[in-house]
Amino acid sequence: MKLTAQQIDQLYLFTRQHYVEWYDLQTELVDHLANAIETEWEQNPKLTFDEVLNKEFRKFGVFGFMDVVESRQAALGKKYNRLVFNHFKAFFRVPKILLTIGVTFLLFKILKTSMYNNYIFIAICISYFGFIFFEFYKIKKIRKIQKETSKKKWLFEEIINQYGVSSGAFSVPFYFFIQISSRAERYLLNDYWLFSVSLMLVLFGILNYILFKIIPSKTREYLLETYPEYKLEKL
Amino acid sequence: MKNSQLYKGSLNTIIMKLLEENGKMYGYEITQKVKGITQGELNITEGALYPALHKLEAEGLLDVEIEKVDNRMRKYYKLTESGQKETVNRLSELEDFIRNMQSLVNPNPKLEF
Repeated sequence: MKLTAQQIDQLYLFTRQHYVEWYDLQTELVDHLANAIETEWEQNPKLTFDEVLNKEFRKFGVFGFMDVVESRQAALGKKYNRLVFNHFKAFFRVPKILLTIGVTFLLFKILKTSMYNNYIFIAICISYFGFIFFEFYKIKKIRKIQKETSKKKWLFEEIINQYGVSSGAFSVPFYFFIQISSRAERYLLNDYWLFSVSLMLVLFGILNYILFKIIPSKTREYLLETYPEYKLEKL
Repeated sequence: MKNSQLYKGSLNTIIMKLLEENGKMYGYEITQKVKGITQGELNITEGALYPALHKLEAEGLLDVEIEKVDNRMRKYYKLTESGQKETVNRLSELEDFIRNMQSLVNPNPKLEF
């Protein structure tokens, strides 16, 4: 006996109730449960839909779908990191490396010659975090709209939209900026240190640009590549 | 999975070998196939299968395809080109392992013949 469309919807609801929020994972689990239920019904046709469903769900173990969700998050997290790294590498290859070197030297020159390099540094820090907060606010707004319209959620899209903020873009630069501003004389007066500081600022800038501009602008492309079903859904 | 510690390390290779033989497969089909081949001796649990599939996919060894079957969407896994090469390596590793284990467990098998 085959499952009806209504029972398939019930299975989607069941996965949502068991903390699987993302449509891509839900789809895979729904098909698995549906197959398992249909097979079980061939042997025990008298069992109800709920009875068979609970029996099959128990096979996932005490943590239910959590193992599957976590492994998927880890796998896609790695994929995202690889994506960031590949974009990052491009800034150290011709032609972008010319831009990287050029901006680093320009920044070094400005910080070296200006009498107000301390203030320039602080201004850079403020604009850096201002930019991050602005992007963060934008993401929050998008998520709110998504929640209200109950749009389908894709795990990789969520990783793209929130990863940078939580990890690399915030904590490491924050620690770096605090260190530099608390010992400005040491870092901003010595040429070698000043060059390193300029380079670090440029690297953080590149990372931000990748996390908040390049990758989000290609979200659709990456989702299509990750999920063949994304195309079907958007038709 | 039956005696999971022993089988755990070979799960990826089992999956890849099945995909090599059958082309594309979906998750549930893999569990049933393993059950069938081993006559119910080996039962891959859902909690182990999907993490393994997702990991192999992220490593670029598997590719996915979606098909609409009955009222639902089905996700098929198949080996990529690098996945096919890797399957050969892993299978020969597994065969070496089996051979070595056999000589360790049964050091002088000739006596039996």
